[in-house]
Amino acid sequence: MEYKPTILAFLCNWCSYTGADLAGTSRMKYAPNVRVIRVMCSGRVEPTFVLKAFREGADAVLICGCHPGDCHYHEGNYKCLRRYHLLKKYIQQLGIHPDRLRLEWVSASEGNIFARLIDEMTETVAKLGPCEVRKTMETIN
Amino acid sequence: MKHTMENKRIGVYICWCGTNIALMVDVEEVTRQMAKVPDVVIARDYKYMCSDPGQDLIIKDVKENNLNRVVVASCSPRMHELTFRKALKKAGLNPYYFEMANIREQNSWVHTDRHEATKKAEALVLAAINRVRHHEALDSRKVEIDPATLVIGGGITGISAALEIAGSGEKVYLIEQSEKLGGHAAGLDLTFPYMYSATQMLKPMLLKVTSDPNIKIFLNSHVDEIKGYIGNFEAQITSENGLETKIRFGNIIVATGLKTFDPSGIENYGYGKFPDVITSTEFEKMLQEGLIQKKNGTEPENIAIIHCVGSRNKKYHEYCSRICCSTALKFANQARSQLPKANIFELYADMRAFGKGCEELYTFTSRRNIKFLMFDQENELPNIMKAEKSDNCDMLIELNEKLSGKTVLVPADLIVLMVGLEARADVKHVAHSTGLSICGNEFYIEKHPKLDPVATTTNGVFIAGACQAPKDIPESVSQAKAAAARILSTIARGSVEVEATTSCVNEEICCSCQTCIRICPYSAISFLEDKRVSFVNEILCKGCGTCGSGCPTGAIKCKHFTDTQIFSEIEGLLHMSYSMEEIKEV
Repeated sequence: MEYKPTILAFLCNWCSYTGADLAGTSRMKYAPNVRVIRVMCSGRVEPTFVLKAFREGADAVLICGCHPGDCHYHEGNYKCLRRYHLLKKYIQQLGIHPDRLRLEWVSASEGNIFARLIDEMTETVAKLGPCEVRKTMETIN
Repeated sequence: MKHTMENKRIGVYICWCGTNIALMVDVEEVTRQMAKVPDVVIARDYKYMCSDPGQDLIIKDVKENNLNRVVVASCSPRMHELTFRKALKKAGLNPYYFEMANIREQNSWVHTDRHEATKKAEALVLAAINRVRHHEALDSRKVEIDPATLVIGGGITGISAALEIAGSGEKVYLIEQSEKLGGHAAGLDLTFPYMYSATQMLKPMLLKVTSDPNIKIFLNSHVDEIKGYIGNFEAQITSENGLETKIRFGNIIVATGLKTFDPSGIENYGYGKFPDVITSTEFEKMLQEGLIQKKNGTEPENIAIIHCVGSRNKKYHEYCSRICCSTALKFANQARSQLPKANIFELYADMRAFGKGCEELYTFTSRRNIKFLMFDQENELPNIMKAEKSDNCDMLIELNEKLSGKTVLVPADLIVLMVGLEARADVKHVAHSTGLSICGNEFYIEKHPKLDPVATTTNGVFIAGACQAPKDIPESVSQAKAAAARILSTIARGSVEVEATTSCVNEEICCSCQTCIRICPYSAISFLEDKRVSFVNEILCKGCGTCGSGCPTGAIKCKHFTDTQIFSEIEGLLHMSYSMEEIKEV
């Protein structure tokens, strides 16, 4: 069977989730591999959410927030950015390919960018193949 | 952990949204699958969940089947979360015992494979069911409304809004960046399509606004930072001469308008190079002064008006500035009346004389010996060049006339560029201080493009007029009055409910590190020295949740976005199994 990756995405309510909704209202088409969780701010995305997602079998995790300077809560996206850099290093220690985690800025008007991003990420992750972390965790358990 | 002890009785409702969802998602199959999930007492599908009968269905089920959690899978929660929360409240349930799965905007509308879309919908609904199990009852807070209103921008929109609110006897602070009120309307001579004088329209308004004791006007002033939340904002107004005034208010109307496009960058038009190539703003001033003339003081024999300057071209702005076509028609009429013998040309891309009375103005204008020539705005702009002595005019406009397909040379002594409208340079600054979002064209974004055009995603902050997108006077005034009416209704109620989704601290496990205090963007968290723990002021907290992510011990709980809730959502999305794994919540 053809391998279909699953991308778990955390979208901030004000910019990115609205942008993803706009892709819908504009009837843009993109790959069905993404599963979205809405948070108020990308600053709410705890590193443990990302690790949990990988542990539960996500092949990739995407975090989207407002563009720098446009955060609805002033600077939550910067907080997210800092945590992201740390996480990126951390997941590699667990044997997770760095391309499996992405942080992108998507504004409320960038439905097209969101749609493109999902297609592109689906393609990248499909090439990487399934993320094995969950299996490893199961073996350890 | 009282919420895990309680028996969960979940009702799941899958919406067809007519064919919007049902065409791409097998809603009946999703309903069948969800009925199998533990704790789901009822799973139904229905044509339109948001309709009154749809909501009544939920209310009836809650009452008859003792449901204590509800999941609706339909459109975006940004659309109808509030609608369904209200339905729960009506049914006697806490409105936060509700979760929504977005299977329209982020599923049926964006995917093309029905099987995949159905599978995705199942995952989304399952995640919502998982999550709603961990939802806790939250009390929405009521806050008092300070009846004063801050209006930013003293153009015709701001003035109209201020008059409307003050007319009901409420206080208004009207701040204007420049030294006088009136905005762009003050620079107009006549207005389209009925040729009313802008001055005669504006003067009585200015008199009223300056003499109303309920309106306090601040000229040459700006506001940098606005603190607080709906009903209870405060800010400092700073005037040019350094005078600072502290004010308190309950609502804000942003009416900052737009600015005109600078045509210097369009080489074809030679603005700045040819003295008699002027902008529509400059021509308007000429009309106000009552004399159409060239820079050298002589009368032009040939006048050309070029449309769409900076508009409807991807190099400048893709959008239509909306007011220029009708303004250009007005110009042609005024020029014709003043200079009966002159040749007048309208060089247009598409004639967009929409709106009441405007198409009629176009027909009327075309009967006054005015020549209309069409060009290709996207690919081939007209080119202005200096004329030879033998041409008997100052300039020539080379134009590929679209309707005839011929290249023509249009004589011109005075050329008016119909400059488009664009966002002001300080748009980001205002957005930041008022909590507004801006779109790709740097206009402010309304809460809903059709159903809520003057509200914004920040409660208590409204937008009106051209700051939302180019608009003419009647549209701007309508929006001003709409925003004023919205505010007056909250003032009349006296209080408003605000989100209950704030953070709070579990003092038992707070380790006194004060990380949360440093990262809170609203200074909502303070340190209780006696107990050595952090404390969240829930009135100041806006619920972004960044403190929760930074807290090393998990002492901070972000209500409605708790770790447990999000973990359970992740499990639902990824497993497609009905994991009941218990995550210890502290």
